[in-house]
Amino acid sequence: MTQLRRNVKLDQLICWWSIPIFYQFFGLIFGYLTKIMGPPIPGPNLTLEGITAFTLGNARHMQIGIVLLAISLGFASMGTGVIVVQMRRMSGPGPVLAYCYLACGAAAALPGCLFCGLLFAVSVFRPDRDPQIIAVLYEMGFVGFIGCLGCFATQYLVFALAIFLDRRAIFPKWLGYMTLWNLVTELIAAPVWIFRSGPYAWNGLISFYLGVLIFVVWIVCLITWLKKAIKNQPLEEFDPACTGTLLV
Amino acid sequence: MTTATTLPARHLPGDPSIWVFVLGDMVIFGCYFAAYLFDRGHDHELFLQSQQHLSQGVGAINTLILLTSSLFVALSTQAARAADLRAASGLLTLGGACGAGFVLLKSYEWYSKLSAGLTISSNAFFMHYYMMTSVHFFHVLLGLVILVILRRELQGSAPPRMQLLETGATYWHMVDFLWIIIFALVYLMR
Repeated sequence: MTQLRRNVKLDQLICWWSIPIFYQFFGLIFGYLTKIMGPPIPGPNLTLEGITAFTLGNARHMQIGIVLLAISLGFASMGTGVIVVQMRRMSGPGPVLAYCYLACGAAAALPGCLFCGLLFAVSVFRPDRDPQIIAVLYEMGFVGFIGCLGCFATQYLVFALAIFLDRRAIFPKWLGYMTLWNLVTELIAAPVWIFRSGPYAWNGLISFYLGVLIFVVWIVCLITWLKKAIKNQPLEEFDPACTGTLLV
Repeated sequence: MTTATTLPARHLPGDPSIWVFVLGDMVIFGCYFAAYLFDRGHDHELFLQSQQHLSQGVGAINTLILLTSSLFVALSTQAARAADLRAASGLLTLGGACGAGFVLLKSYEWYSKLSAGLTISSNAFFMHYYMMTSVHFFHVLLGLVILVILRRELQGSAPPRMQLLETGATYWHMVDFLWIIIFALVYLMR
């Protein structure tokens, strides 16, 4: 019987593990290899020399990081998948919020990771390029990376809404409220498209550091309570025909 | 069937989880205030001069409007506890009307500043002014949506869920409280 219990949830557990692994990769790529997220994150007020030094001075690591990103980016979909499965179990909201979450997750990986990596990959691809062009790629990379908020903001909104409407308490209510913090931090990062220095610039205290801090707290809670949701899912919810096959 | 679902006399108002949001939002706004005070410390003169362009009168009226609104919402919660749902609903409408008044007056204030050429990129003071007030404005709009939901709850055929009413009221008081700090820091502090 214990064998059966483990097996019916195996697919979900594999996908669950992909989330901490994906964020390990994410931290390695953006924090250590490419240095795009610092620390400290390079700002919009760097000189032309500073930008060239940041981009080309770190070319080899940058390339390794972007190759890793290209390989591991799809991992994010596994995490989205298992969250959607748990959202579909909720009673109260219909499936529509889970589908919105899925669509946002699919769209968000492009501006949130790949676009930025692509631009830095191009800048180090041909190091003898005009520094002005490198500067343009640098700015596009950063404003896109920090400033493309819409997909994430809506994803947080539908997730929080689903938790509030859910009568089965698949996730605790406070996690819904915590998700709203993330929504607020996404909204307050909107002025990165305007400011070149200060707390609201893309490397600013409020636009970047506050957002990252709150995201880290939230993702740790999400990962922990997602595991609990999978663990607490009753076996009756699984298709008996399917569990029968597993017994054979 | 019009008696409200009762809660123990002494309890944390609303769903305890709302306090997770309240405290988190306070931390986020706390960072705003810290950044504002930090920048202000670096260029005190500029901040004082720019502050002269704000309309203290409009800010003070908005503070009064929001405080009155909070009072109406608190009275509405009390009325709902006493199962006087007609009064509760009416008081909530008054609270919402005050909130809408705040939105209108704030929009007028922004409009007059923008027409005077004072924009978000004018200087550091106006950057903070527009950022803080607009994030707060977003909170007010969300609060108005919540008040509409509460009003529907009061007017429904089923007895209202007291916890839901208290949760919404707690959020509205937080929005009021944040405005008082913004008003003190941005409009008044010399």
